[in-house]
Amino acid sequence: MPVQLQHSGYSAEKLQSLTESLPCREAQASTLLALMGEPDQYSYPSIFIYGHRASGKSYVTLRVLKELELPHAAVSCVECVSPGLLFEQVLLSLFGHTAASSLPRCPSLSDFVRLYKQLCSQNPAKQTRYIVLDRAELLRDMEVNLLPGFLRLQELVDDNVTVILLSEIVWDKFRPNTGLFEPLLLHFPDYTKAELQKILARDSHPSYPQELYSFYINILLGVFYSVCRDLRELRHLAALNFPKFCEPLENGEAKESDTHKLWRNIEPHLKKAMQTVYLREISSVQWEQQQEMMEKEAMAPKGLSAYTHVELPYYSKFLLIAAYLASYNPARTDRRFFLKHHGKMKKTNFLKKHEKTSNHLLGPKPFPLDRLLAIFYSVVDSRVAPTASVFSQISSLVTLQLLTLVGHDDQLDSPKYKCAVSLDFICAISRTVSFDIVRYLYDFL
Amino acid sequence: TPRYATPSIPSRTQPARTPGNVLEEARARLHVSSVPESLPCREQEFQDIYSFVESKIIDGTGGCMYISGVPGTGKTATVHEVIRSLQQAAEQDEIPQFRFIEINGMKMTDPHQAYVQILQKLSDQKATPDHAAALLEKRFSNPAPKKETTVLLVDELDLLWTRKQNVMYNLFDWPTRRHARLVVLTIANTMDLPERIMINRVASRLGLTRMSFQPYSFKQLQQIITSRLNRVKAFEEDALQLVSRKVAALSGDARRCLDICRRATEICEHDASDKNTTGLVNMSHVMAALDEMFSSSYITAISCASVQEQLFLRAVITEFRRLGLEEATFQQVFLQHQALCRVEGLQPLSVSEGLAVCQRLGSSRLLLLEPSRLDVLLRVRLNVSQDDVLYALKTD
Repeated sequence: MPVQLQHSGYSAEKLQSLTESLPCREAQASTLLALMGEPDQYSYPSIFIYGHRASGKSYVTLRVLKELELPHAAVSCVECVSPGLLFEQVLLSLFGHTAASSLPRCPSLSDFVRLYKQLCSQNPAKQTRYIVLDRAELLRDMEVNLLPGFLRLQELVDDNVTVILLSEIVWDKFRPNTGLFEPLLLHFPDYTKAELQKILARDSHPSYPQELYSFYINILLGVFYSVCRDLRELRHLAALNFPKFCEPLENGEAKESDTHKLWRNIEPHLKKAMQTVYLREISSVQWEQQQEMMEKEAMAPKGLSAYTHVELPYYSKFLLIAAYLASYNPARTDRRFFLKHHGKMKKTNFLKKHEKTSNHLLGPKPFPLDRLLAIFYSVVDSRVAPTASVFSQISSLVTLQLLTLVGHDDQLDSPKYKCAVSLDFICAISRTVSFDIVRYLYDFL
Repeated sequence: TPRYATPSIPSRTQPARTPGNVLEEARARLHVSSVPESLPCREQEFQDIYSFVESKIIDGTGGCMYISGVPGTGKTATVHEVIRSLQQAAEQDEIPQFRFIEINGMKMTDPHQAYVQILQKLSDQKATPDHAAALLEKRFSNPAPKKETTVLLVDELDLLWTRKQNVMYNLFDWPTRRHARLVVLTIANTMDLPERIMINRVASRLGLTRMSFQPYSFKQLQQIITSRLNRVKAFEEDALQLVSRKVAALSGDARRCLDICRRATEICEHDASDKNTTGLVNMSHVMAALDEMFSSSYITAISCASVQEQLFLRAVITEFRRLGLEEATFQQVFLQHQALCRVEGLQPLSVSEGLAVCQRLGSSRLLLLEPSRLDVLLRVRLNVSQDDVLYALKTD
């Protein structure tokens, strides 16, 4: 039985319903309530709440404010591309429609404070007003005075107002160099496995008993807990895979007590889900369709990452291959790979000490256009005239983001490029023109 | 709950009282805003400017003069004094009537506003900057009967600088017109301003009439204070000498000198309420005032800082010595800090607390920091010399 939230100034039944709606967050909710105090008391000017994604920060805060019917404004900073929108939303939800429309066109913080002061002198706060700013880390990128201003808002407007900031980032990264009013820090810890189990088991399917769903969640967490502790993600996966879990029961192959059989049925399925639907390789709609098709044993649809094959013109393929070779081979070795009658090179001289680490780990290196063309002519068997089309193919490879231009100092005079494709991609491309790229790569010598 | 944590100046509800005793009287006289009866120690400069402007007024021609000098040497006060005596002379019909206009570069939002202000003061007209420039151009280049000489004082000239310098050019070009009858007196802080920022076209118009105000020597400062006090006996001789010697050694700024004297009278008054003394400002009061105004606040701030903050500064210096550089990342300093904590027998801080300490020092400008979103990689530099920090840390 969860601990009953206790606080003077609020009715018991409200607190009761609040307790029921906040599973596993009683400690945080009661701290928050203690900080907020009674409705007519002054609260601390600013509270900063941080914790990982889906640890119930905004849910708990908004739930408390809504359930206790406190005047509040909940604004997500993602939506507010300019401070004006932020001010407008705050005034709109605290003072109603007419207040927000009286803001000037491009309001500054001082306009907001002036208007707020004017409005709260007309109807002074009988209860603490709350401004909840979600994703508060975006405030840092707006005007410099916005974050310090909001932290001191209670003092600036001389009204009973508290600003609650919600963020996934720790407070240390918020302080500007000029200092500010320090808020109270409140941390929401991650849910433990038992807590996740408890929360997920709350939303059971109506046609199946509670215990069965709880068992299902147990299996699900056994598979997914090591990679994912995000409540939202887990809930999504639970909803998605539950029909599959129930299949043997519907077919009559198993009874509800045959836990081992059910587990045997669902476990490989969940493992597959981790590689496909969890990585968003295939969408959840496709996944559901696939589950229906399972009986026919249809071919599994290819995921997003399987579509890496791109159709390119003949010379573009060779240009890309040449660019890849130029990016991942040291320029010193070009003579050995691409010249017919290179002088004799001993392997010991050939390998330098610092080049023993794989170039593929260090990433592509930039190369000049001349080198690209030299390798290109050596790689292509036929004679290719350096026509405009060859050069325009290079620049269109840049626009396709298969090559990138490095250092935008000069477009025409010896530009430098990098190759931005993976080894799998280039291997697929070279197979289509029957060119063995691995033989030409220094790393695989 | 902390409310009204921002420090602010209390607003005055009653008007300032008239001076009751000697010290208050002295304070009123020493105030920078009270106009003195005469300007001692600037007689030569006064005479030069006076004769320059007077000759131009009598001849009915125009000209420019550039006046420079470090702050607090009496440039603006002398020019105002000159104008006052010229206006007196004009009232007694010794010289022809003239008109005085003053603009200040600091009071303008934009250099082109100078035109608007000049036009408004000349003829009560309001116009846009471009229009005002055209009107002024017309006014100064066309002959008009019964035109009186205009004396224009341009204070803080360096703020009228624009990229094409057309405001300065016009200001210096108008006096050279045949019918302008305009005398322009310009004031700035630097002596080589015409050479440094003006293009040739402008500097040549300015001409060669330059005057530079030297900083006051201690004797001059003493004379200024004595003349200001004008037989109000509030200071001991030695005290006055100490103030003027100190100020002359540092900057020769008369305003600074007056401020110190006023502060010394306040300290004296405060002391007198405790125990009965002579009621005169003596050496100790002046010493206290000088200490307040000249001593570096950094050292006081460091010696008043918390234990962990002092330890952090010590860690910064240790790390600098180890690296042989004047810059280190927070990470490096923090390791030193933790080692120092163990040596001192204190509980080592967590990274968040360490960052908070560091950023508190940064916001009081004892350290220079990079933006805080770099986290442990932010680079730390000292804003004070290492010797100052060590000196402040030693005096417990």
